[in-house]
Amino acid sequence: MAVFNKIAVIGAGTMGAQIAAHCANAGAEVLLLDIVPQGAGNRNALAEGALAKLRKTEPAAFMSDEAVRRVSVGNIEDDLWKLAESDWIVEAIIERLDLKQALYAKIDGVMKDGAVVSSNTSTIPLSALTHGLSERFRRGFCITHFFNPPRYMRLLELVTAPETDAARADDLARFIDVRLGKSVVRAKDSPGFIANRLGVYWLQGAVVEAVKAGLDVEVADALIGRPFGIPKTGVFGLVDLVGLDLMPHINASLAATLPEGDAFHALNVKLPVIETMIAEGYTGRKGKGGFYRRGPNKAREAIDLVSGAYRAVRKPNVAEAKARDLKSIFDGTTPEARYAATVMGRTLAYAASLIPSAAERITDIDEAMKLGYNWALGPFELIDKLGAGWFADWLTREGLAVPPVLDAARGKRFYEVKDGRLFALQDGTLTPVTRPEGVLLLADIKRATRPILKNPSAALWDIGDGVECFEFTSKSNSLDLAIMELLGQAIARKPRGLVIHNEGRNFSVGANLGLAILAANVAAWSEIEKLIKTGQETYKALKYAPFPVVAAPSGMALGGGCEILLHSDAIQAHAELYAGLVEAGVGLIPGWGGCKEMLARYLASPRLPKGPMPAPVKVFEMISTAYVSKSAAQAQKALILRDGDEVTMNRDRLLHDAKQKALKLAEHYTPPAPPIFRLPGDAGATAFEMAVRDFHAKGMATDYDVVVAGELGGILSGGTADPTGEVDEDFVLGLERAAFMRLVKREGTLARIEHMLTTGKPLRN
Amino acid sequence: MQTYKAPLRDMKFVLHELMNDAPLPGHEEFTPELVESILEEAGKFCAEQLLPLNASGDLEGCAIENGVVRTPAGFKAAYDAFNEGGWGGLEAAVEFGGQGAPATLAKLVEEMICATNISFGMYPGLTQGAVRALEIHGTDEQKALYLPKMISGQWSGTMCLTEPHCGTDLGLVRTKAVAQADGSYRITGAKIFISAGEHDLSENIIHLVLARLPDAPAGIKGISLFVVPKFLPDADGEAGGGNGVSCAAIEHKLGIKASSTCQMNFDEAQGWLVGQPNRGMQAMFVMMNAARLGVATQGLGIAEAAYQGAVLYAKERLQGRALSGAKYPEKAADPIIVHPDVRRMLLTMRAYVEGSRALGAWVARRLDEANHEPDPARRAEAEEFVALLTPVVKAFFTDAGFECASLAVQTYGGHGYIRDHGMEQLLRDARIAMIYEGTNGVQALDLVGRKMPANFGRSLRRFFHPVAEFIDANKDHPILGRAVGGFGRAFGALQLATFFIAEKALSDAEEAGAAATDYLRLFGLVALGFMWLKMMKLALEKLPDAGADAPFYQAKLSTGRFYLERMLPQVGSLLAVIKAGKGALMEMPEELF
Repeated sequence: MAVFNKIAVIGAGTMGAQIAAHCANAGAEVLLLDIVPQGAGNRNALAEGALAKLRKTEPAAFMSDEAVRRVSVGNIEDDLWKLAESDWIVEAIIERLDLKQALYAKIDGVMKDGAVVSSNTSTIPLSALTHGLSERFRRGFCITHFFNPPRYMRLLELVTAPETDAARADDLARFIDVRLGKSVVRAKDSPGFIANRLGVYWLQGAVVEAVKAGLDVEVADALIGRPFGIPKTGVFGLVDLVGLDLMPHINASLAATLPEGDAFHALNVKLPVIETMIAEGYTGRKGKGGFYRRGPNKAREAIDLVSGAYRAVRKPNVAEAKARDLKSIFDGTTPEARYAATVMGRTLAYAASLIPSAAERITDIDEAMKLGYNWALGPFELIDKLGAGWFADWLTREGLAVPPVLDAARGKRFYEVKDGRLFALQDGTLTPVTRPEGVLLLADIKRATRPILKNPSAALWDIGDGVECFEFTSKSNSLDLAIMELLGQAIARKPRGLVIHNEGRNFSVGANLGLAILAANVAAWSEIEKLIKTGQETYKALKYAPFPVVAAPSGMALGGGCEILLHSDAIQAHAELYAGLVEAGVGLIPGWGGCKEMLARYLASPRLPKGPMPAPVKVFEMISTAYVSKSAAQAQKALILRDGDEVTMNRDRLLHDAKQKALKLAEHYTPPAPPIFRLPGDAGATAFEMAVRDFHAKGMATDYDVVVAGELGGILSGGTADPTGEVDEDFVLGLERAAFMRLVKREGTLARIEHMLTTGKPLRN
Repeated sequence: MQTYKAPLRDMKFVLHELMNDAPLPGHEEFTPELVESILEEAGKFCAEQLLPLNASGDLEGCAIENGVVRTPAGFKAAYDAFNEGGWGGLEAAVEFGGQGAPATLAKLVEEMICATNISFGMYPGLTQGAVRALEIHGTDEQKALYLPKMISGQWSGTMCLTEPHCGTDLGLVRTKAVAQADGSYRITGAKIFISAGEHDLSENIIHLVLARLPDAPAGIKGISLFVVPKFLPDADGEAGGGNGVSCAAIEHKLGIKASSTCQMNFDEAQGWLVGQPNRGMQAMFVMMNAARLGVATQGLGIAEAAYQGAVLYAKERLQGRALSGAKYPEKAADPIIVHPDVRRMLLTMRAYVEGSRALGAWVARRLDEANHEPDPARRAEAEEFVALLTPVVKAFFTDAGFECASLAVQTYGGHGYIRDHGMEQLLRDARIAMIYEGTNGVQALDLVGRKMPANFGRSLRRFFHPVAEFIDANKDHPILGRAVGGFGRAFGALQLATFFIAEKALSDAEEAGAAATDYLRLFGLVALGFMWLKMMKLALEKLPDAGADAPFYQAKLSTGRFYLERMLPQVGSLLAVIKAGKGALMEMPEELF
């Protein structure tokens, strides 16, 4: 693979700076440049300021401190010469053609042959950008349109011109895919490209129609949200996030470049209620609030689109918002149904009209909306739910034009599964949907085969070459007894290798607390103890199984979901891994071997001083504060990942990488040797107790924190273990179990669990 | 002829031995001595004044002439004597002339009233519910105007909820309330099944009426509560001129015939809002929850009366010989109490009665804590306990009351079926308690649909944790250990059933509905089992030094054993029924019925 180890980003605004950070996350050496501010003493002030700000950005732009150190800053005048070393130069300056072209001319003067230059423009056509520039420059130029925030948004739109060097563009696309972890969607050089073209049309239409109908914003958001698989922020919640003040600019620039007769022009109208809001500073979440705000006494309020006054948020109660059948919404006659059908019907038709002018393939459009706007289903997948012919007829009844792509699809589906393979309608024929090399999706496997094992909470899949994949299927992938039972059965099958992976938003949020609190409320202590014991035994069996186990987590891996990582032979982590033993937040301690495994990791770490105390101290800090990593890199620092564990940047590649790792481990596999623990005993427990009392006195620990930390200290110090003697892992597991059972019976713990279930936040009792 | 002797020994046992917690804050003056003398006085009053009117009141019933309802002979005099003794205000606030007694005590007095004359008890009982609602939701002015006279019994009260087309579903209430310039309202509508709606016992009747304001939202959230006096108070606060309130008819009923059950018409009657507009259900719930515990006590009272009647007869009635040979050869025949099946009936009644009395006292104690505990956390826990147990005791005690009355009739044989011994009256009187204040089916739905899921089952904790702790602490008890183990299995059945319903109900509310009644009974059986084990443990501790009291504790042990061995095992079949699910209930199409 062609390397892009040296990357320069020019323009240290929000997007430029965060693109720079993310390139550094991928391991590249990054140079961040901006102009020399007029009359400044420090000629690098802009880029330096951006880097300083970047380190404090929330959610974090950097994945690790090492990534921060990989970014150097400068200015475009003094440091221009450095661009000669850059493999890829990203331009992310202000959206002004004259300034961009002037910059390109400078770059052209210093860049090396074979380098790529790309613009992050979202509005200026590629043809205009490169107009009049050298052929050498044009061959190396493309548009790489990142989405905000670049670290977290998985979409990247790549636009090339006919004269762009195709091989170089492919290299860059592959780099962006594998190393930056983005899904690259090829877009045509058309206004707004794909996602924003369609997204802005959708948002503007939804706002205009809601104002016209005088709907409550909560109702509009509920209607446009759940029924269509769109995040519950809906429309107004999203505009608040984007910024109300940006909308007129985005609309204007899009309108200026769209051809006459484009359906967007009809929607691009001024809305007095919104103009007033912007004028008064209600520009969204970054301002005083937007369509929603925190009113006096922190109460949530929403704006009334008719009167323009804020009022308390009302829980929307409309039947259509709960509809499961989309047709019933399109057939509906209530104002709410008409609203949802008008907005979404027009949007879906507009999506179909973008082929082939903005995108070559329907999959590009679906991918763009799913990754750029977090829709669960793309526009063509939504049309399939209605039926292409049915939807075309609906459009006709509404007096709307039927786009040719849709007309041609009458009687067909845009997507079909045949013999377990996914096909998409392309130029009138069903064409297999292919994945790039190195991408293995569980979704594809699930289409093609039946599970080897399955129960209501988990399933086991054959992913080829003797490797099997254990998938959680419970709500939020929460862990329960059924998962433990199926995992036990999966282990007994002794496959060549086992991968623990799923494609949910989060790997696992931990044990099912709803079940736990019910069991605790009815005093079903023996059931709870059984769950703890079964979990301990199953995880132990996983650890000592005669075949390699690779965990491949993405997103949150909390509590029991983190403990399963700790019992795997290796972890192939998605870069976005938020792992931690968070049990203390609900008044518990890790009871499925989490204390034990973290102790073993720190005891084995050569980075710690010798002696029985340093390791328990580290683990105590981690668990008592319910530490959660903010990236895989941080998890590595916290020893949740060990040496030899690896990180995959693109989550679509995670399963493939994990499988390869399992196969590699299987070549010469021997199960790990059981750890021996030398722990400090009573003296250690006393030291923890004193430390906690000190935190409590300083107001850093709550009353109940002291109780939970006391139990944790008891486990980590080995209870009454003799500081000179050694204990085995079953001994530590016994301590975990006993402490867990004591805590789960306490009112303070149950109050924390209940609060977590009710609010999603920890109770500080 | 009916007889009654207040079960003072058992009441004292429950109050002072079983519930020997710290004295209730705010009730320190109710010393054990005072409480015992109050109970004795109450027992005397009920046996001497109320019991003699029970059968006669049933025979005579109430009568209506020109809209005026006449209660049976003797009721007015008994009502005056009742108020003279201050019984009507026993639990009411001291500042309005009440005695301020704890519920723990008041519930036992109520039991005596219900055991001796449930119809009579309706009149002060309804007043107490209205007093409670006004105490909590009324304005200071309303309290000053109404409470002293209602507490003294000079005026009485009602709850006007039901209308011809709506009983359980109060969201359908049609009675209208229109605001007037002076801040009052004009109430118009028809109410039915209004207990004590019209009678000749008090000089004024204060109706608490659910009605709808003109702009109110539809359904249960658009109901407001109004106070509507039969006679409008004058400037001095005395009963003055008439209001647009009239009684159109009284119902002819299966039982409680001496209680007047009225159809009430409100015709532009003047009333005043109680609490907030459209928040009437909240205010009404205060009354309903208190009333549900009151109805539970009715079930208990009837059961006690039935037991006493049955025992009397079983010892007196000579008929045949014991199966093992003559026990009383000197007599013409043995008394029927020698027969296992007669003993089955008597012990069933006794086990229900004493178990329920103990459970009722636990609920009352927690109710007192909910009202008087200074620590808000403890208060909240007590409230959760009471909320959870209210549907259980309402349905379980009233089912038991009817079952006991039926067993009493059975014990008497043909003599139970005829009027002379009063057993058939108990059976008839007991039946209504399973229906009003929310049918027992509605109680079961309240338990599984509201109480169980609220706050992820937090209120369950208030019952399950103490029970689990008791089992854990006593599983190795030298004498009771085995019984505790058996009870532990019954408790396990309740845990399983709870889990089953909680999980099923998540996906299908009908599953919860199908299990509700059986679950409530399972819950009640386990709760009584817990009380019995606690009582037996206590009896074992007291027995060595009991002296003359030894027979009392012996009886506790025997009755407890009977309950644990012969009644509690019903939980097994209930669990099986619950786990069968809704299938068999919902399979048959409606048209095949």
